Amino acid sequence: MRIKSKKPAVAEIDMTPMIDIVFQLIAFFMVITNFEQIQADERVKLPSDSLAKPPEVKAADELVLNIGFERNKAGEITDPEAYVFYNGERIPVLKFGSSFEQEARIYKQKNQDPKDVPVILRADALVKTGLIQDLIKIAQESGFTKFAFKATQKTQ
Amino acid sequence: MKLRSSGREAEKIEPQMAPMIDVVFQLLIFFMLTLNIVEPEGDFNVNMPITDSSAPSDDMPKFPDIKVRLVANEDGSLNTIRLGQVNLGNGPNVFAGLNHEILKIIGRPGNPITKDMEVQLEADYNLHYEYTLKAVSACTGRLDSSGKHIIRYIEKIKFAPPVGGTKSSG
Repeated sequence: MRIKSKKPAVAEIDMTPMIDIVFQLIAFFMVITNFEQIQADERVKLPSDSLAKPPEVKAADELVLNIGFERNKAGEITDPEAYVFYNGERIPVLKFGSSFEQEARIYKQKNQDPKDVPVILRADALVKTGLIQDLIKIAQESGFTKFAFKATQKTQ
Repeated sequence: MKLRSSGREAEKIEPQMAPMIDVVFQLLIFFMLTLNIVEPEGDFNVNMPITDSSAPSDDMPKFPDIKVRLVANEDGSLNTIRLGQVNLGNGPNVFAGLNHEILKIIGRPGNPITKDMEVQLEADYNLHYEYTLKAVSACTGRLDSSGKHIIRYIEKIKFAPPVGGTKSSG
């Protein structure tokens, strides 16, 4: 029998499989993480629907509005008034007209017709329908005509 | 010379694993923490030209609008859905029922007449938005059996002015 005399007694752990797995995990999380998603407000609890599919062509410019309630940490509504969460402020839905006009002015300065800019409504499931319709009406007064309702995709 | 003395043993150069693993774990933890699980979102497009609301269109539409009336309870939950004169009632399957009724009206999905048809939704002011959205969804179509593609029923949805409610109430 041959005994290697010079080799050290330190048991070497084989690192290769571990590094393989760790790289796999890193790649997985990198792919899954999306850094976009800036216009969503976490206070809005969207309704869900199975037909809600992400749009195939994304409009270059869109006006995303979050309509929802103030909620506490448990997710309960603390204030029955619905607000539009817009640029870090909360504006009561029916007082949003001036902001629409401002947005319309900005689009016009960029040589865009507001009627081509879709208004994406991310409304909380519990917001009153009439309020959404009022908001649409206010938006129409500033020249917006395209609207889209957001919903989370329900998986069956 | 050293070259020769480093014979068999040093042949395999061991890369320094420890710093690499440190960094890799850092990255792993970073991505795990920044990961926020976001459900994919989709949208329903509704086109609302401004002129429509004021003046009724002069050219006679080939088909009358399909009128869907959503009646709410006091608390904003759904009371009944009426399609034209038909009362579809309430309950968990009411939207499936609405979907079915729409299919009966259009005959078959993709029927060319659907291009000229419009659904008019008339909802109570205080109805929760989720029911309106479900009604919109039930009118626009359904998923096929594989659950990947949407079978379109009626694309054009419009809203009648809300029923009841006051502007001042939030």
